[in-house]
Amino acid sequence: MISSLGHISVATAFIAAVCGIVCPILAARSCQERYLAYARYAIFGQFVLVTLAAGALIYGLVTADFSIKYVAFNTTRATPIYYRVTGLWGALEGSLLLWEWVLIIFSGIIAWIYRGRHQESLPWAIMIFSIVSAFFLGVLAFVSNPFEAVSPVPLDGRGLNPLLEDANMMTHPPLLYTGFVGLTVPYAFAMAALITGKLDEAWITSTRRWTIIAWFFLTAGNLVGAWWSYHVLGWGGYWAWDPVENAAFMPWLPATAFLHSIQVQERRRMLKVWNLSLIIIAFSLTIFGTFLTRSGILSSIHAFSAGPVGGFFLGFLAVILLGSFGLLAYRADLLKEQPELDSMVSRESAFLLNNIVLVSALFTIFLGTIFPLISEAVAGVQVSVGAPYFNSVTVPLFLFLVFLMGVGPMIAWRHASWDNLRRNFLWPALGALVFGLALFIWKVKEFLPLLGFTLLAFVVLTIVYDTALALRARKRIAGEGIVRGLITLARRNQRRYGGLIVHLGVVLIILGIAGSMTYSIEKEATLSLKQELPIGNYRIQFEGLKGMRQPTHFRVEGAFRVFHNGSDEGILNPALKFFPTQQSPIGRAVHQSSLTEDLYLILSGFSEIDRNQATLKALVRPLVVWMWIGGFVIAFGTLICIWPMKKTEASET
Amino acid sequence: MNKNRRFLIGGVIILAALSYMIYGGMQEAIVYFVTPTELKANERSSGDKFLRMGGMVVKGSMHKDLKNLTYRFDLTDGGTNFPVFFKGVPPDLFTEGKGAVVEGRIGPDGVFQATMIMAKHSEEYSPHTDGKPPSKSFVPGWEAVAK
Repeated sequence: MISSLGHISVATAFIAAVCGIVCPILAARSCQERYLAYARYAIFGQFVLVTLAAGALIYGLVTADFSIKYVAFNTTRATPIYYRVTGLWGALEGSLLLWEWVLIIFSGIIAWIYRGRHQESLPWAIMIFSIVSAFFLGVLAFVSNPFEAVSPVPLDGRGLNPLLEDANMMTHPPLLYTGFVGLTVPYAFAMAALITGKLDEAWITSTRRWTIIAWFFLTAGNLVGAWWSYHVLGWGGYWAWDPVENAAFMPWLPATAFLHSIQVQERRRMLKVWNLSLIIIAFSLTIFGTFLTRSGILSSIHAFSAGPVGGFFLGFLAVILLGSFGLLAYRADLLKEQPELDSMVSRESAFLLNNIVLVSALFTIFLGTIFPLISEAVAGVQVSVGAPYFNSVTVPLFLFLVFLMGVGPMIAWRHASWDNLRRNFLWPALGALVFGLALFIWKVKEFLPLLGFTLLAFVVLTIVYDTALALRARKRIAGEGIVRGLITLARRNQRRYGGLIVHLGVVLIILGIAGSMTYSIEKEATLSLKQELPIGNYRIQFEGLKGMRQPTHFRVEGAFRVFHNGSDEGILNPALKFFPTQQSPIGRAVHQSSLTEDLYLILSGFSEIDRNQATLKALVRPLVVWMWIGGFVIAFGTLICIWPMKKTEASET
Repeated sequence: MNKNRRFLIGGVIILAALSYMIYGGMQEAIVYFVTPTELKANERSSGDKFLRMGGMVVKGSMHKDLKNLTYRFDLTDGGTNFPVFFKGVPPDLFTEGKGAVVEGRIGPDGVFQATMIMAKHSEEYSPHTDGKPPSKSFVPGWEAVAK
């Protein structure tokens, strides 16, 4: 019953999506207002129907309706309620439905709040939304139907992949999808601008806030993914340059570039073609990412299973690329650049360099990700491209990016005078050099880490220095103290100060990455009772094993007493979880975090003879915790950027 | 005119630097994938190359030394067996009769010295138990631990 409701909703929504595509064209042809209203109704109709379908699948999961194949494969009678709900994105069909749902929520909100505005572009944006939506609905209705029946109905389901039974797994996919789908908004309005030929800055300003929101969710999705990898996968790392991680990260790069370069267009009316291309690429990469993940052409922890879906995504990707760039070429004469770059030492050029670096990073990561595919297809040689490639190529690029992050926000537009440079950068640069020297004398002797930490200090100092100058001015003008002054500054210029806070967050994340990349210690040993493993400033003593039955699995837990600099810091319990439906145990690592370093313990095995022996892998990873703190700082900065305020559409950035 | 040329030169320099970085990075990080049969055939010429070899762990070939964390086993592709030595902690899914991919190079004794083992899991994540209740001893050696 519930499954037919879901399936019929999806099929009807598909028809509504087709209406959403056709109506704007009819409206343009016949100049009749009513077709525009129909287009909007088509979006709202899809919204209601897709919500109904998603609700039906969630209902099926929660009530353990095993007559639905998807439910039978992704839940069991023993599965707790919240993991039943998250089963919605535990496998291919459900996650496609979630994607479509998020997409149509976004489209619905846009169609609603812009109903009286953007009369010319909105219908075309609705058409683009409907095209994307029709594709997903088509796949859901005809290729990978989440409501497919199974017979005979099994007594119990197979259960979620145990790795996904984690609180963070409840948030990672929705966050990432929201980021992906969010990019559809600027893309849709960019296409609408190309179709109508109104290629001024309107499409950028009207979607700016959406772009920031999408960017934030992309960042958060990637970070939570890294956190999950660190927290649950139990290998002590957070990023492996796995193809699917790359797929999630790649759209972030052009999205970030776009966020910066649109400021150049708003301010100087430059880079029009470039901005349009960036958003097309960013959007295409979200579809490409899904293709990589879901086609099964790459084996990966994220790859659910092979199926015909991949081909459809590839086809859709081709349509998007051809259509978008074709449209761009068609409008080429309207996109003639007017002003030129005045000077290489200016904010425009800093943003341009930032874009070049980000696109270069994208290109190298893209190449490394698909190289195994090319190699096998062209030469028939199976190869893999390891993490060292990605690290060696991207680390210099990102270091340069950090440098630009210090320069960009402070340097003058058009042409920076010596005076401007000296005023903004002399003290921060000197401060960073002193900091670097101190680090060198204290501990850090290698070139790249030293350069990295110095550049990070430079960014922080430019921000602090600039803000301090602004605060002094506030004090002189209005007699405001530090807190009052900060609030006034942030209110007067939300985007600038929000952006600077986001930069600080990025600095913290890079600090965490740099620290853990360069100064980690890793050891493993088989310990007998009361035996100790020394690592860094820690000693870890094995105190025994314990077994316990859990609702869905059996848990074997090791007890390890941690001594830090000789003082007893209590017991950590890394565990192995044995699921009856799995052939091998799933590790549950534990860690103890502090602001300076994490101690990370993995129980990798125990003696099959008695409980007096366990194999332990221990890692000390410095500064990791700053990555997660940086994430919260970014969230705070983003909030300041997008917080709706009256009459504060500041032009200064 | 002059400006355009400057941009062109800048672009070429950036491209050159990027290509150099990509080329260098690839040289360092590209790993070829071979089967035991292929490796046996080219044993001489692949003396010092860093490789990835995939196959099935031959049943009965595993010699574990849990004290020193060493593993000695054979990988097979059905035709040829190739001996592998590994020191460390292998992944959870690594067992006899299952697929595994090892990374490393051939040692002077003709044994593949693996620095990493990746267990291959099947396409589908959760193998079905066909409704059978989990056997009591699905946790290896647990009886002993639970006394």
